[in-house]
Amino acid sequence: MAKKKIGIIGGGISGTALGYHLSLYDGEAEVIVFEKDTIGGASTAKSAGTVCLFDDSLKNRYWDVRLYGFESYLKMEAEEKGSAGFDKTGTLVVATNEEVEKVIKTGIALAKAAGYTGEYITDKDRIKEILPDISTDNILGAGYTADDGYFDGTMISNTYAKKFQKNGGVVKTGVKVTEVVVEDKKVKGLKTDDGAEYEFDVVVDCTGPWSKFTGEMVGLDVPIWHTKAEAFFLCPPGKKLDYTFPVLKYPEFYGLRAGDNIFICKSHLSMDLSNPMHAGQWDPDKLPATGGTDDYFIDFLLDQLEAKVPGIVDSGLVSSWLSYRAEPKDFWPILGETPVEGYLLSTGYGGNGVIEAPAATRDLAKLIMRGESTPLLENWAFKRLL
Amino acid sequence: MNIAVLIKQVPVSNDVSVDPDTHALVRASSEGMVNPADLNAIEEAMLLKEQTGGKVVVFTMGPPDAEKALRDAMALGCDESCLVTDRAVAGGDTVATAKVLAAAIRKYGEFDLILGGALSADGATGQVGAMVAECLDIPHVVEAQGIRYDEARAGGIVAVKKFHDKKLSIRCALPAMISFNFGCNEPRLATLRSKRAAKTKPLAIYTNADLGLPLEEVGIAGSPTTVVDSFSPKAGRKAAMLEGTAAELAKKLKDLIEEEKGK
Amino acid sequence: MANGICVYAESYKGKLEPAAVELVSAAKEIKKTTGEKIQAIVLAEETDDIVSRLDKLGVEEIYVVRAGRDCSQQDDAVSKAVAEMLKKIDPSSVLIPATPEGRSIFSRVAMKLGCGLTADCTEVLVGTKEDGSYYIRQNKPSFGENVFVTIITRDGFYPQMMTIRPGVYTAQEEAEGGQAKVEYFEDIEVGSSKIEIIEEAEAENETGSILGAEVVVVGGRGVLEDDNFALLEKFAEKVGGAIGGTRPMVDSEMIPFNHQIGQTGLTIRPKICISFGVSGAIQHTEGIKDTKLFVAVNTDEDAAIFGVADYGITADLKDVLENYLAL
Repeated sequence: MAKKKIGIIGGGISGTALGYHLSLYDGEAEVIVFEKDTIGGASTAKSAGTVCLFDDSLKNRYWDVRLYGFESYLKMEAEEKGSAGFDKTGTLVVATNEEVEKVIKTGIALAKAAGYTGEYITDKDRIKEILPDISTDNILGAGYTADDGYFDGTMISNTYAKKFQKNGGVVKTGVKVTEVVVEDKKVKGLKTDDGAEYEFDVVVDCTGPWSKFTGEMVGLDVPIWHTKAEAFFLCPPGKKLDYTFPVLKYPEFYGLRAGDNIFICKSHLSMDLSNPMHAGQWDPDKLPATGGTDDYFIDFLLDQLEAKVPGIVDSGLVSSWLSYRAEPKDFWPILGETPVEGYLLSTGYGGNGVIEAPAATRDLAKLIMRGESTPLLENWAFKRLL
Repeated sequence: MNIAVLIKQVPVSNDVSVDPDTHALVRASSEGMVNPADLNAIEEAMLLKEQTGGKVVVFTMGPPDAEKALRDAMALGCDESCLVTDRAVAGGDTVATAKVLAAAIRKYGEFDLILGGALSADGATGQVGAMVAECLDIPHVVEAQGIRYDEARAGGIVAVKKFHDKKLSIRCALPAMISFNFGCNEPRLATLRSKRAAKTKPLAIYTNADLGLPLEEVGIAGSPTTVVDSFSPKAGRKAAMLEGTAAELAKKLKDLIEEEKGK
Repeated sequence: MANGICVYAESYKGKLEPAAVELVSAAKEIKKTTGEKIQAIVLAEETDDIVSRLDKLGVEEIYVVRAGRDCSQQDDAVSKAVAEMLKKIDPSSVLIPATPEGRSIFSRVAMKLGCGLTADCTEVLVGTKEDGSYYIRQNKPSFGENVFVTIITRDGFYPQMMTIRPGVYTAQEEAEGGQAKVEYFEDIEVGSSKIEIIEEAEAENETGSILGAEVVVVGGRGVLEDDNFALLEKFAEKVGGAIGGTRPMVDSEMIPFNHQIGQTGLTIRPKICISFGVSGAIQHTEGIKDTKLFVAVNTDEDAAIFGVADYGITADLKDVLENYLAL
């Protein structure tokens, strides 16, 4: 049987995870991942990597997606320590109103069902034991588990790329795709900036915030917006905390430790696509590696921390960065077939690429290799946005 | 003691290339930041202010958006700032730039000490500090690692610098200019609160008319040197791969290190 | 009419600096086209040895001011005397070592003479104007080493002054029987200075601080295996470098957090950086900037770090380290 030839554009978390899942169809696929820069080096590198058990950034409706991601990385880490960059700090999700409280409690029930620990705490002294710098005023309680933490998207992408290569996959870094060859509305292959040409049966766009530009190569308008992920690294007063700072989640922002520092970022669900400070169409090639954050964010964060985590409000600002998340208007990814035959999407993950990529690309690999869809692919199909 | 600190807004990234056709510079990003060595100068200024009192005023010359660098400096504790911004002074070389900065310092007020970073991360000429000192006719110590001020011996300051494997303590009459090496101290960090406070600290804006410098002495017209061409380095940053046995590779590595150390 | 290629004969404690010897080679290259005389200016307390060496290097005219004291660091006084010397000599170009001393003295000289000063040239070439006269094309790096620019000194500004980076021209060889004309400017004095060295001590090698370190040795995940870290420490000691690391090294508590390099840690700007077992993820390579020499050792020939390093070695870091330590 002739092998299926698949080209993947983009070597971030979704491209490498897809390559890996395709390589599990022993010898049936011939796959090349094209990355113009380094593996997991762009948006993926700027992901916080919080794949948390009862965190609401991916709604409980998609619990199985969250769990599959979490467990994929746990196994990766167990195979080789450090390969998923797991830092098991536990997670504290704070309930500021009854609606949030209910969501947290649901998450705890789901986590318990999968064999993990989790508890909803209303004793404010106990919450302060977990996070001494928090203010327990104006909160109802908090969900806590010691079983999760955060991962490192760059390391995961590199580990997926390695596994993929071990299974016979090819990764080309430093190579930019310049043209996708389409004949009669059907993908034939692609061309790269080193002058090479490739024939493919299927080309998958895994370029996240670049998808707008990638899609133009086949005349496809990929309906994503960029929202700004503005992150700050804080050096706590006294330079070092004497407790383990857990992944901390509020509806408005989240925090986690980064060595002795604390990483703080506005949550992606709090972004407003109609607010020009939050969302627009920008050029991700122009993003600096560090800096680029907006002033309004300083005020936002100061107000948030003063009210919620006053113990760290006088932290030093070590560095900051700006990243563009690719968000469709309904904040769900775009996965699977497009009006151009053979041109597939695996993009628009917004702030959730690291959480969603394992399950999403597992299903997408099945669609590519067997033509079988799944409920997830149907929910996240391109045609919903037409 | 009143201290002036000269800073420069430099690109966050030195990722710049040359368009092969137009020879124009293509910047990967327009994001600016305070030159790293200037942060070390600000730290020395803040330490001295804590010791002696007085105020710290930070100066820069640049486009209007260089205000951001000044606000960042004020978020670190500098009290006031001064931006010289004018099309007439833009594009100047080190000589023309130094004249403008010196004039701005003179107009702003009396200073006992002028501090700056020894090298900028972009142009890296290391000349402007010494040229400003010359314009103001004051002594200058370059590439200092630190300073000591003894109130009993007011009228002078001691700079410490490394020179030919020696550690020199150099006494300098005030007013003086001192330029600091990158990494000579650990600069303090701004906080969210100090960032917000910096938004309302004083910022004076001078144009060339305010400084009263003749147009033929500033900007491109006042620059004795001019850039006539720009090009990309012959080889890219892509590593040249070394070959050989482990022993040969170790030897090659040693040669490379020693050659670079000898420069 | 300004004439002559004048080298600033920087010296330290009565000895000519190697960087100045290299400039004689640069001057000879210029002379091939312009045919001008090669000159040198000497300003020091002890000048005899310097003058004799310049003579052997083939310098044709040597101009000397005996300072009468050790005037090291006294840029205010030295620059004044140098400016007076240049007014008398009236060369068309002045080549200066791009050293802290060279750039600080001549920055002041440029202001006194109303001429320019181009910094840190890596190449000086001769160009010809329409009227047949010559000028120097001064090539220098900018934005780290990402771009090179050609600078010229505009008409009407003389002399053309430039500092030249040490190490880019090979040292001129010495030969007996130099014919240099030596002129002592007895009427030029090194005046009083507001700068005074009050103490001179041996500089300690501060390899503990990674921020100011000239040499940094960086370890990645590869260092976590076996006793590789012990080898890395010995290597760092041998090359006089501070140790930095990526997150895995910090996580395993081999190095403190304040030695972690990258976006969550520090940005360092060492002169020399050698990395072992670092793959080159963005969080790491963005933390190292403006190095003059960056050598990466990694077993994976496709490692991203080879895209940013100057030299690459595909080998097991253990082999390289053990062999280096045996040298």
